[in-house]
Amino acid sequence: MAKAGLKSALDQYRGRNIRLEKQRKKEKEARKRKEAKAAKLGEDGVSIEEEKEEVKSAQTNGVTKKAQKASKPEKKNKKEEKKAAPVEQVGEDWETEESEEGSEDDGVDFSRLEDSDSEAEFDDDEDEEDDDEEGDEEDEDIPLSDIESLASEDREDVIPFQRLTINNTTALTAALNRISLPYSKLTFSEYQTITSDEPVEIEDVEDDLNRELAFYKQSLSAVKDARAKLTAEGVPFSRPVDYFAEMVKSDEHMGKIKQKLVDEAAGKKAAAEARKQRDLKKFGKQVQVAKLQERAKEKRETLEKINTLKRKRQGAEVTNTQEDDLFDVELDKATTAPSNDRQKPNHKRAKKDHKYGFGGKKRHAKSNDAFSTSDTRGPGKPKGKGGAAKQRPGKSRRTKR
Amino acid sequence: MAAVYKTLSSATKEEKPTEGRRNKQRVLILSSRGVTYRHRHLLQDLASLMPHSRKEAKLDTKTKLYQLNELAELYNCNNVLFFEARKGKDLYAWVSKPPNGPTVKFHLQNIHTMEELNFIGNCLKGSRPILSFDAAFEKQAHLRVIKELFTQIFGVPKTARRVKPFVDHVMGFTIADGKIWVRVYQISESEPGKKKTGEDAEAEPAPKKKSKGKTELDVELVEIGPRFVMTPIVIQESSFGGPIIYENKEFVSPNQIRSDLRKAKASKYNRRTEAALENKLKRGDLGLNTHGGRKKEKDPLSDSVLFA
Repeated sequence: MAKAGLKSALDQYRGRNIRLEKQRKKEKEARKRKEAKAAKLGEDGVSIEEEKEEVKSAQTNGVTKKAQKASKPEKKNKKEEKKAAPVEQVGEDWETEESEEGSEDDGVDFSRLEDSDSEAEFDDDEDEEDDDEEGDEEDEDIPLSDIESLASEDREDVIPFQRLTINNTTALTAALNRISLPYSKLTFSEYQTITSDEPVEIEDVEDDLNRELAFYKQSLSAVKDARAKLTAEGVPFSRPVDYFAEMVKSDEHMGKIKQKLVDEAAGKKAAAEARKQRDLKKFGKQVQVAKLQERAKEKRETLEKINTLKRKRQGAEVTNTQEDDLFDVELDKATTAPSNDRQKPNHKRAKKDHKYGFGGKKRHAKSNDAFSTSDTRGPGKPKGKGGAAKQRPGKSRRTKR
Repeated sequence: MAAVYKTLSSATKEEKPTEGRRNKQRVLILSSRGVTYRHRHLLQDLASLMPHSRKEAKLDTKTKLYQLNELAELYNCNNVLFFEARKGKDLYAWVSKPPNGPTVKFHLQNIHTMEELNFIGNCLKGSRPILSFDAAFEKQAHLRVIKELFTQIFGVPKTARRVKPFVDHVMGFTIADGKIWVRVYQISESEPGKKKTGEDAEAEPAPKKKSKGKTELDVELVEIGPRFVMTPIVIQESSFGGPIIYENKEFVSPNQIRSDLRKAKASKYNRRTEAALENKLKRGDLGLNTHGGRKKEKDPLSDSVLFA
């Protein structure tokens, strides 16, 4: 026991992982076994193929057989036969995927699982040989649509339906002869059937307009031919104007259709009108916005001018020496000019607004806030008034001027 | 002299039926149970276009279709147009010629009835249509059979009871994409001078005239409806029975399509759950799970080993 422990410690020291090595070995063995088996089955498959050829040739024309077969991924024998049938390609794809999985998987207990798998596969393959004998000829005529569905990523779920082409032409022609009218003995007016000269070619069935146009053209040419033939036979073709009879669509129905058409037209007209109106409105709005902006700009400019003027006036009072400050004609002119068209500020109104409230709340105006509490000045000296009081000169100075 | 006249007249009489051999057709139209309103309206539309048809009550069974042979015999019909609805959405049409003619089974798609199409075309109830077939109908045997059946079923015989004179509509059968597309147009004739009148209906340029007669009128078509597309599935040799003599390989049943769609959706979920499981196992193997999985190997240099 101790010896084993020592050995394992040594291994660990050397960085060997015995378990992993064992797995690798087993995997290798399994793979070898698989390949050998595949080769064997490949030979078998060839012989089976020959048998099938015989069977197929023996089969008669109209055999009804519907084969429903799951495309089993593990078709070992198929791998060897390099046929163009796409199911096998799919099978090969699977094959590679599987092997990749095996090589990628360095999972620990996987090798044991794989071992049992490969044993199971032996049985599977034998079963499939039996299957193949029935299903192989269908492999060749899988419709293209099925291949596409197989090629998608969820092939595992798809169980392809493979129908045998049944087209028993002799039986079909016999049936046709049994039921067909004696056209050579009948006049055209008896059956009124026209077959177009050349087949209608439609490139894209999804393209509604061109498709319908093709149908229309086919019918139109048929109508022309038929009319010529019928008039030649003297059969009344066009309905006289005064011939009234029950129609396929009742008057009520036609009225409904007409109403619908009228409604549609009216709706279109209304929509166009509405759009026009909307555009007009949008444009009008733009004009209005532009006007407002212009007005705001004007206002700003005048205010600026007023402010500059005020500042200058104040500066003039202090210094009162410069000539152009005394006679600031240009500025005065600039301020007076725009104020003409604008409303004069109503001082009375402003005062009242201030007193009774206009714009913004007046509550809590006198309550303390963070700034006022941190104010260290004593009470009784309102901060607001100080500056203004200083501005006003004393009586003597005032009278002196 | 009288004898001479008699022989002459008898000769002419005898000749008459041979040259004008009658094309007698009667069609039994009916549906199975479980049709939707649209299927029912289609049936109505077709019945109104076919004065030689006999509409019958819904058939109870969907499996014992051979009963239709007896029913046809009962009503003196030599054609049967049977609509079979499945799952309240798929419509199949059986076109047959009892007692022993072939039977063709179609799958009907893209059904639009007169009611919902709002086409301005209209025609006399009971007038005889012109049947216009694509040239492709002559190419293959099974299509020839189908063409013959359509000629007899949709073509109104001259002798039908409720038939009206004049030819004012055309039925078009065109093969495109392996399917048969059916359209019904009104034939509207107008003076060649004023051909602008009907142009807005189909918006196709008016056809150029080929000088055929002296007072040739311009022909225009205005669609009446209904519209539908038929995919042939199977042709049986006898009426509602017998061996299958044609089977359309390219036909994929709508059930298959639906289930494929569902599976495609389901596979997404399956893949994700599988991946989650795999991830869990892998984590267990690496010893990263708290419960289950493999225990992590003890590090020989960890404190608990060294200072045990």
